[in-house]
Amino acid sequence: MKLLKIPDEKFEDYRLNAIFDCYKWDPQFEDNNTLAKYVLVLTKEEHEEIKRLTELIDKETIKAEEFINNNLNIAKPLALPKKIYNELRKMKNYDKNKHIRLMRYDFHPTTENKWAVSEVNSDVPGGFAEATLLPKLANSLFNNEYSFISFGDILTSSIEKKVIPNGRIMLVHCTSYSDDRQVMQYLGDKLTTKGFDVIYGAADHLRFKDNIAYSILDGKEGKVDGIFRFTPLEWLKDIKPKNWGGYFDTITPSCNHPIAIFAQTKRFPLIWNALEKNGIFLDTWKSLLPETIEVKDSKGKDGFIFKPACGRVGEKISIKEACDNEEYIDILKDVKKHPKAYLAQKKFISKPLVIDDKEFHVCLGSYTVDGNHAGYYARISKTPRIDSNACDIPVIIEGGII
Amino acid sequence: MSGKETFKIWAPYGIKWTDWVRPVPFIAIDNNLNNEFYDFSIPSINYINSLKRDTAFIIDLPSYNSIKEGIALAKLGYRPIPIFNGTNEQLGVISTTNNNIIGPALVWGALELKNIVLDNNTSPVFLLDTNRMNRRKMDEGVFDNSWDIYHQDLPTYKYFLDNGINKIVIRSNSIQNDLNKILYKFQKNGVKILFTNGYDEPKEVILKKPKKEKF
Repeated sequence: MKLLKIPDEKFEDYRLNAIFDCYKWDPQFEDNNTLAKYVLVLTKEEHEEIKRLTELIDKETIKAEEFINNNLNIAKPLALPKKIYNELRKMKNYDKNKHIRLMRYDFHPTTENKWAVSEVNSDVPGGFAEATLLPKLANSLFNNEYSFISFGDILTSSIEKKVIPNGRIMLVHCTSYSDDRQVMQYLGDKLTTKGFDVIYGAADHLRFKDNIAYSILDGKEGKVDGIFRFTPLEWLKDIKPKNWGGYFDTITPSCNHPIAIFAQTKRFPLIWNALEKNGIFLDTWKSLLPETIEVKDSKGKDGFIFKPACGRVGEKISIKEACDNEEYIDILKDVKKHPKAYLAQKKFISKPLVIDDKEFHVCLGSYTVDGNHAGYYARISKTPRIDSNACDIPVIIEGGII
Repeated sequence: MSGKETFKIWAPYGIKWTDWVRPVPFIAIDNNLNNEFYDFSIPSINYINSLKRDTAFIIDLPSYNSIKEGIALAKLGYRPIPIFNGTNEQLGVISTTNNNIIGPALVWGALELKNIVLDNNTSPVFLLDTNRMNRRKMDEGVFDNSWDIYHQDLPTYKYFLDNGINKIVIRSNSIQNDLNKILYKFQKNGVKILFTNGYDEPKEVILKKPKKEKF
């Protein structure tokens, strides 16, 4: 794995094209440019290894979530919000063949020359255009010498298999956020070219009757044939849309179905022992995820960090050297107040890549769609914590067509 | 003029402050079906008469009026930075907020701006639409494309101070909650916050402590 510099004289056009042609509508976050001036290159061997690990770990996740769904008694340590927990019983009619299962596993190179996985984005992973159009754009800067995986093609092809041809799909997102809309707009434009009737709506623009979804969006009312949800499940609980429970037992093909919540909570490892007692083995997970324990059990142990169970984009992770002092103290206070909303995880030592005398830590997101590897979304950061201040970086692979 | 061409005029690459220009309304320019009537007269500025290197402005006026005032301030030497971030509804859908109105005004502004010579190190004027906060829904089927400005959409207080800006003037009818939330932290960290309604000279204000967010 290495970084390649985008030539300085080409970066202005690259940034402009990323914004206008690759749906990168948020190129700045506070004082930081969020588009890397580099490209991440994987060797073919690295790609094959990550692909293999991703598919193995995904198989385990899917088995585990199906087991938990049928055995909710083991889900208690997940400490899911009560409002969500109450709806889980409705999911008994879940049939994985009817829905699209999309996940993204975050891989990190470590100083032990191994891979560590920090989490799975099980519920609403993003970065679709960054994983599709950005590598294509980057490859063009290097005479198309490299190859890349088109995540968008793989995702839409799975949607085509599960949603009726020319069907109506609602892209459910927080409509006030342009950051959400850019992800949905890319997918919507792509699905439109495949003949689907795409609706952009919010979570409360869906109603459910006889387990089928209907749009109530003014001007776009009627039956919906597919749901693509980008609003996190735990936000639905806070937003309180009417009839939100309908998402849990709908037979309208969904991506993702709320079954995603079991692996989305970072407390998922806390029920692995219970799963293994029932014959659900998580060997790949165990080999890649650092030791994870309850906050109370980390007392007096060295080398553990705290992570929020429902954290996103690296927020509220207590990596001291990556937080300012005020933030670090706030996190510790919150952990003390709400220990069940956090977990303690052994900190791995990220191995940075070096270029131009600078060090960059890498988070390589590896997607699966319906159990198959589907491409990469990566970010780099000057600190080991990859958060909102990190830069998006396209991933390309050495050699020709994969 | 295409969205990309318009963006390049408002956000010339490598020039101070222009990294914060938000692309969203520029991207919408190429699909704009707006038939609104526009008044592109440039207003006179009464609350300041010359460029102040230690002062930035945030013009928060309804609709595209901040673009007109931004051009007026550009004529005094300030660099206008549009930070509109609202998306448009689909054709045939009823929405809370008319974000669509911004695009054509940015095209007009670009034509004005390209004839104004600005110092690369000049002070910025951030442009906002107060109507972003229009989120009242007539019924539950309405598409809510109201929007807020967040801390990540602006430079940090540290960046302002490091670049010699220790005063920020809000030019508006009142201080909106989202701006209050961001600038409260600025004020706590040594940036003076002033307010003008457009008629009076800017006066220093003490911002309210924002309520804690639920999520």
